[in-house]
Amino acid sequence: MSAWYPDRQKSVYILRQLVLRDFKLKYRRSILGVLWSVLNPLLMMTVMAAVFSTMMRFSSDSIPSYPLYIILGNVAFSLMSDSTSQGMGSIIGAASLLKKVRIKRWVFPLEKVLFSMVNFALSLVAVLIVMLAVGVLPTWTALLLPLFLVYIGMFCAGLALLLSSLAVFFRDVMHLWGVVLTAWTYATPLFYPVEILPNWMLVVERFNPMYHFVNYIRTLLLYQQVPSLALNGACALCGALMLALGLIVFRKTERRFILFI
Amino acid sequence: MSEATQAHAWMPVATIDSTPFEELGYVTLNIELEGTPPKNVRYLYTWRSANGLERGQTDYQRLASFNFLPPHDGRFFLNADVSDTEGVIKSAGAWANIGDVVEDEFKRPPIPDDSVPVVIDVNDVSMVFNKASEQYNSLKEYFIALARHELNFKAFRALNHVSFSVRRGEAFGLVGTNGSGKSTMLKIIAGVLEASEGTCTVTGSIAPLIELGAGFDMELTARENIYLNGALLGYRKEFIDEHITDIIAFAELEDFMDMPLKNYSSGMVARIAFAIATVAEPDILIVDETLSVGDFLFQQKCQRRIQELIGSGNVTVLLVSHSIEIVEAMCDRVCWIEKGQQRMTGPTDDVCAAYRNLGQ
Repeated sequence: MSAWYPDRQKSVYILRQLVLRDFKLKYRRSILGVLWSVLNPLLMMTVMAAVFSTMMRFSSDSIPSYPLYIILGNVAFSLMSDSTSQGMGSIIGAASLLKKVRIKRWVFPLEKVLFSMVNFALSLVAVLIVMLAVGVLPTWTALLLPLFLVYIGMFCAGLALLLSSLAVFFRDVMHLWGVVLTAWTYATPLFYPVEILPNWMLVVERFNPMYHFVNYIRTLLLYQQVPSLALNGACALCGALMLALGLIVFRKTERRFILFI
Repeated sequence: MSEATQAHAWMPVATIDSTPFEELGYVTLNIELEGTPPKNVRYLYTWRSANGLERGQTDYQRLASFNFLPPHDGRFFLNADVSDTEGVIKSAGAWANIGDVVEDEFKRPPIPDDSVPVVIDVNDVSMVFNKASEQYNSLKEYFIALARHELNFKAFRALNHVSFSVRRGEAFGLVGTNGSGKSTMLKIIAGVLEASEGTCTVTGSIAPLIELGAGFDMELTARENIYLNGALLGYRKEFIDEHITDIIAFAELEDFMDMPLKNYSSGMVARIAFAIATVAEPDILIVDETLSVGDFLFQQKCQRRIQELIGSGNVTVLLVSHSIEIVEAMCDRVCWIEKGQQRMTGPTDDVCAAYRNLGQ
């Protein structure tokens, strides 16, 4: 047996090692360690539920459980925001390596998406805890979660590829993205009910991919229904379009990365 | 002169009864103290084989001679640390050649003839950087330049029609002053940069030495870093599992394996990098300045390992350096690049002589 992997297996193994590295680094020297991935969304949800249900008096009859509504929106959104904000700098971060070793360049942004998905999987434990606490027990619709992960995974991968290559040429993107994410957080009904939105905003939401993704996971775990064909179509389309855009831009520009990193 | 300096004005000198030894048997290392030695000294003997894989030591002792039984033929370094009561430690050591050992003189591989296959073929390669476009790091600058029609000008030729080919089993040197285009050439050969003009064909696997900050993570332990680095170089997991003890032994880091890398010196990291890159026989090994951070003993060890690899006949070494000494010691042929121009390519002695003339 040769000492080296063939090309494809090599990329897979690199991905695995990089995810493992990020995982170890994230929890090294913290006492609660991996428990934080569960605690963090729980604490976040507690703060938001306290602020928005008591102070701003958001409530709606259409929402069976407000805490569950918040945590589902949050974990889905942070999967996107984590993978894109980390994926964005991944090529620049791997600069010294890319200058020396011939590695498939896409492994770096993709690794950040995979790592965020691992964290997402852990935060599902927090979701389960909330579900048990508020008495909304998961039904068989939860089995459709992998489909959700495919949709949003494609979207995040595409966006991470796009941002990582843009960031190489224009570092401005890195400063701007934080602002965009904040605006996006408010534009997506994460902690307020959809009903409070004016009509024109509802039209805008149709073009907000995160609106569809958040809807999807809430349909599965909060309303416990099978997502409609239209919702499936919207999510699949958002994912596929973003992945295609990301891949095209990345492919077109990756050869020139080395001149700018 | 003060009394203190007087007291320290001594030096141990090591001698070995006779080398080379015809057959296996005891070898005696004798230490003599020259100058005015302190009254009470103790000796700590250590020995290691030339490749560093075997080693041993005795406890502190008062006798100034030490019998060493070599485990097999080969070269061994016998060393003594002499310490006095004030905590001053001085060392002396000597090499012992046991059995049929070739002298340590590094031998350049012979220049191969035309029948040996070419593994690196650089054919009329030029690299043109667009200096202007390289400077835009912000959208604003970019659009200002775009509006002024100032984009795409000022071409800078980092390499100008460079051609050479390296055959299997060669140790090929690439020399040039700083900023001459060596690194650009290396990037093109490593396949991370595409040449603007011309072609560069490389046959086989390439193992570069990954430097500090690239494939290493300061927070991870050395063991974890070996796996990470191995993955980046494309090694199979099973292969690393199998050879991790060799890597650790070669890097001489047995006692530090589970310590985060940030506590390591840059030399220690370079040792790991070299150990990983050479644990298998890559088709092409790229050795660059990364190696220069190691101490001289490790550099000797690396040279010996490189010699072993070259000796196997399957490995080609590409050595890039602005220091001419190491290139002169190891390479059979050298290419000299200066300001992007290929100044000379040929046998080491000829090129090195011409390169030296540059400074005079």
